[in-house]
Amino acid sequence: MSVDASITCREVVEILNDYLEGELPEPERVRVDDHLVGCVGCSTILEEFRQTIRLTGMLTVEHVSEVQRATLLDAFRGWKAPA
Amino acid sequence: MATIRTTADDIALVGLLRAGDETAFMMLVDELGPSMRRVARMYVSTEAVADEVVQEAWLGVLRGLNGFEGRSSLRTWIFRILVNTAKTRGQRESRNVPFASLAGDDLDAPTFDPGAFLTVGDAQGHWSTLPFDWRGMPEERAEATETMHVVGGAIAMLPPMQAEVIRLRDILGWSSEEVRNALDITETNQRVLLHPARAKVRVALEDHFRSVTEAGAGA
Repeated sequence: MSVDASITCREVVEILNDYLEGELPEPERVRVDDHLVGCVGCSTILEEFRQTIRLTGMLTVEHVSEVQRATLLDAFRGWKAPA
Repeated sequence: MATIRTTADDIALVGLLRAGDETAFMMLVDELGPSMRRVARMYVSTEAVADEVVQEAWLGVLRGLNGFEGRSSLRTWIFRILVNTAKTRGQRESRNVPFASLAGDDLDAPTFDPGAFLTVGDAQGHWSTLPFDWRGMPEERAEATETMHVVGGAIAMLPPMQAEVIRLRDILGWSSEEVRNALDITETNQRVLLHPARAKVRVALEDHFRSVTEAGAGA
């Protein structure tokens, strides 16, 4: 396995989320890019982060309680928008 | 479900609210309500007080509707009112909530097991053995409600601020800018909270898929 010696896997995995977010400064981003080309382990983790985000996005949104909905609807009905 | 709204959509929505459109109002309540309640709860002592804060915040939103100019997204603006209301209420309760207790005390800690990496030799810091690869498994088990329970359970275990950041970003699909404005945290904090949140959910998924694999192999 040929890996860029300037950055270790242990370091890469801790900045992979920033990498995905596009928040890494240019030189660091390039170092991660270079590292990923040669590193199966870190490439696996990167893809697993992507899958994690995708799976989290499949969670259903929770609901507001009926009591609170009714209370807020009452409040809205009682409110008159200033002209 | 992720929702993307533009400034034009927000202005149109505000117009409906001003006109007294109940459907538009309830749509917003349903979208933002659960998060608002949890965020309020971070700053006040009980669920009941959190409910009061949410209601007070909505009244503040209605009062301020004419002043909304679309400089931030509507949902961000609503959250700012909520957070201010909750903080004021928390102060009145003399409840001092340190940021660390909301954010978690593990923000500087490594999110990967140090044992996964070599500690000696030329390849120090590189993988000692390759990580468990579950990349193909969600596809095979796309509808598995079990997988969704794992994700939901992992998020529920997170410190409150980490949990809210990942919910707003990845469940509701907000941008990082919206999240930091809504929760009144810095850009750095948003990043520093999101990373361990996603990393812990990934670990929960890894553990889950590994146990599924082992159970399959043992059967």
